[in-house]
Amino acid sequence: MTQVTLSALTKQFDEKSPPAVDRLDLEIESGKLTALLGPSGCGKTTTMKMIAGLLRPTSGDIGFNGESILSIPPEDRGAVMVFQNYLLFPYMTIAENIGFGLKMRKVDRKEIRTRVTDMLDLVQLPGFEDRKPRQLSGGQQQRIALARALIVQPNVLLLDEPLSNLDAHLRDEMRELIRRIQTEMEITTVFVTHDQEEAVVLADRIALLFDGQLQQFDVPDAFFESPESIEIAKFFGGTNFIPGHYEGGEITTAIGRFRAPRSAVEGGDAVLSIRPEAVTLGAAEGNSVMGRIRSHVYVGRYARFRITLGEIEVEAITDPAQVKLFNDGDEVPVTFDPAKIWVIRPASSEQ
Amino acid sequence: MKWPKPVSRTPRLGRASLSEKAAQRLTITLLLAPAILVILLLFMGGLITGFLRSLGYFPLIGLNDFNFEAYTTVFTDNGFIRSFILTFHIAFTSTLIASILAVASAMLLRPAFRGKRFVQFIFSLNLTIPHLVGAVGVLYLFSGSGLVSRLATGAGLIDSPQGFPAMVNDPWAIGIIIQYVWKEIPFIGVIVLAILLSVGEDYESVARSLGANRWQAFRNVTLPLIMPGVVSASVIVFAFTFGAFEIPWLLGSTFPKALPVLAFESYTDVDLAARPQAMAMAMVIAVMSSLMILAYMKVSRRYVRS
Ligand SMILES: Nc1ncnc2c1ncn2[C@@H]1O[C@H](COP(=O)(O)OP(=O)(O)OP(=O)(O)O)[C@@H](O)[C@H]1O
Ligand SMILES: [Mg+2]
Repeated sequence: MTQVTLSALTKQFDEKSPPAVDRLDLEIESGKLTALLGPSGCGKTTTMKMIAGLLRPTSGDIGFNGESILSIPPEDRGAVMVFQNYLLFPYMTIAENIGFGLKMRKVDRKEIRTRVTDMLDLVQLPGFEDRKPRQLSGGQQQRIALARALIVQPNVLLLDEPLSNLDAHLRDEMRELIRRIQTEMEITTVFVTHDQEEAVVLADRIALLFDGQLQQFDVPDAFFESPESIEIAKFFGGTNFIPGHYEGGEITTAIGRFRAPRSAVEGGDAVLSIRPEAVTLGAAEGNSVMGRIRSHVYVGRYARFRITLGEIEVEAITDPAQVKLFNDGDEVPVTFDPAKIWVIRPASSEQ
Repeated sequence: MKWPKPVSRTPRLGRASLSEKAAQRLTITLLLAPAILVILLLFMGGLITGFLRSLGYFPLIGLNDFNFEAYTTVFTDNGFIRSFILTFHIAFTSTLIASILAVASAMLLRPAFRGKRFVQFIFSLNLTIPHLVGAVGVLYLFSGSGLVSRLATGAGLIDSPQGFPAMVNDPWAIGIIIQYVWKEIPFIGVIVLAILLSVGEDYESVARSLGANRWQAFRNVTLPLIMPGVVSASVIVFAFTFGAFEIPWLLGSTFPKALPVLAFESYTDVDLAARPQAMAMAMVIAVMSSLMILAYMKVSRRYVRS
C-alpha cells in the first residue's frame, strides 16, 4: 500500500520550450487506480518516468507514503513502469523477459520458472515461454510487458497506455484483468491513456492534463457532470456551450433564461453547458425554448439532432425512435433539464 | 522446450514467381560481379599463389615439386611457436583492453552534456593518425630514454632511466599493446557509441524499473544489445593486430618476434630457399586468424545469450 504524492512536480527538457510537466500537484490514493488522461504530448509519459525514477524532475517533489523518494534509485522505489512501446528485451525469450525482475532479485530459478508459467496463464498466453519477442504480435507483446511488471508485485504500477494495441474484445478482457489484479493485490496503479472512455471505465479517479498542467482531478462522473472548464467539458464530449449572465440560480442567455442550480461560478459572466444527452425535444415544461431542427443523423443506438436556437446551434442526442417524430425544418420545443445544466466560467477568464 | 518452433519466421513477401526470383538473384550477382572479381583475383589469387609456394612450388627459381618441408620446418622450430604465442598475446590482449575501454568510453560519451561534440571530436581524432606515427609516439614516451622514463627519474620514482621497466622492444610487447590500444579504442568506441545512441536508453529504463541496479542493467541489457557491434568491431581489430607488421617491427623485441615480422624477414632473406617457409608462415597466420575469429564469435555469442 503506497500513497503517491506529487508536489509542484515540474520537468523542463530545455529552456526554450515550455515545461513538459508544469507544477503538477497530485495525491494518488493508495491501492486505487488513477488514470492520467490527456491529449498526445501533454506530459503523461514524462510524469510516469519521474515517478518511476527514470527522469529527474527539474523541480518539485515526489513522495511515497509521505516521504520524498527523489534520492532513491529506480530499482529501490518499488514502482514498476510498463512502457507504451512494450520494450521487451529482443534477445531474451518470453520466459526470460517475464522472469527478468525476479532474476535481478536473485530469486531461485525453479521458483522463477513456476511464477513465469503462472503469469503466462494470467495474461492468457500459456506455452509462450520459449518464443522470442519478435515472434509475437503487438498485442501479445503488450501482455508480456504487463506480465513482466506484475511478476515482481510492485507497490506502485505505472502503466503507459498498456492496452493501446489490443482489439476491442481483448482490451475489455485485459481491462478486467488489470482491474482484478489491481484490486486483489491492492497495487497503487497509475494508468496513462488518451482515451477518455477507457479512463472512465477503469479508473477510480482521473487526472486530466493539458500541456503539462493539471486541469481537473476527480472521480470519473465529475468530468461529465461538473467539468471545471469548457476545454475539459469538450474533451469529455460536451458540445453545447451558451454564453450568458449568471445570477441567483438562473442564467440569462441570448436565447432565454434558464434555471440552473448547479454552477461552478458565483455569478456574473458565465457559460451554460449541457451535454447533448441531456437536451430533450418535444416536451415543454419550463427551461425550454423553441428551436428549429437543422439536421439529424440516425446512428442506431441513438439519434443526433442539430437544432438552431436563434443565433445558436445545439446538439441533442436522443432515443433513436425520435427520428420518426421530427423532420428537418420542424419547429420543436427544446428543453434543458435544470438538474443537468452546469454553469462554467467563460473561456476568456481561463487564459 | 514446450513450444514447437514455428515453421517459418519470415513473412511471405508477395507472390513473386520462381523465375522472377531467379532473375532477381541473377541481377544481384551481376551487380556484384566486379567487386567479387576483384576480391577473387587479389585475395584468392594471392592466397593460392602463397599456398602453392608454401608447398615448395616455385618454378621461377627451379622449385617444381610439392612437399610439406616448409611446414615441418616451421612447426618444429621452437622460435616459431614462441612467435605464435607472442602474436596471439599481442592481438588478444590489445583487442580485449581496447574493447573494454572503448565500451566504457562510449558509455561515458552517450549522455548529452555541455561540450559533447568537442569531446567526441577529440575522442575520434586519432582515427586519422597513422599507426606508424603512433608507434613513434610510443617510442618517444615509453622507451628507456623516453619522456615518461625521464619524468619518473625527475620525480624521484626511479633512480635513473635505466631503472625504468622495459616497455618498448620488451618480451611482453607492452609498447606494441599500448600503441594498438591507443589506436583502436576510438575505432571500436565510435561504432559502439553509434549503436548505443540508436538503441536509446529505454531498455535500460525498463530494466532499472524492474529492479536492476546500474551494473545489472548494463550487464543484462545494454551489453547484450551492443555486443554484436562490439564483436564485429573487435574481430576486425583482432585480425589486424594479429597480422600487422609495422608496429611489432618497430616496437617489438628481437626474440621472439611477432609472426608477421618473422614471415617478412624470412621472405626478404637472401636465401631463396627460405621463401617457402615464409609463405608457410603466412598461411598459418591466415588460417589461425580465421580460426580464432570463428571461435571468438562463437564464444561471444554464447556470452550474449547467457
Ligand atoms: N527526452 C526528451 N527531450 C526533449 N523533449 C521531450 C523528451 N521527452 C518528451 N519530450 C517532450 O515533452 C512533452 C511531453 O512528452 P510525453 O512523452 O510526456 O507526452 P505524452 O503525454 O506521453 O504523449 P503521448 O500520448 O503521445 O505518449 C512533449 O512535447 C515531448 O516533445
Ligand atoms: Mg506517452
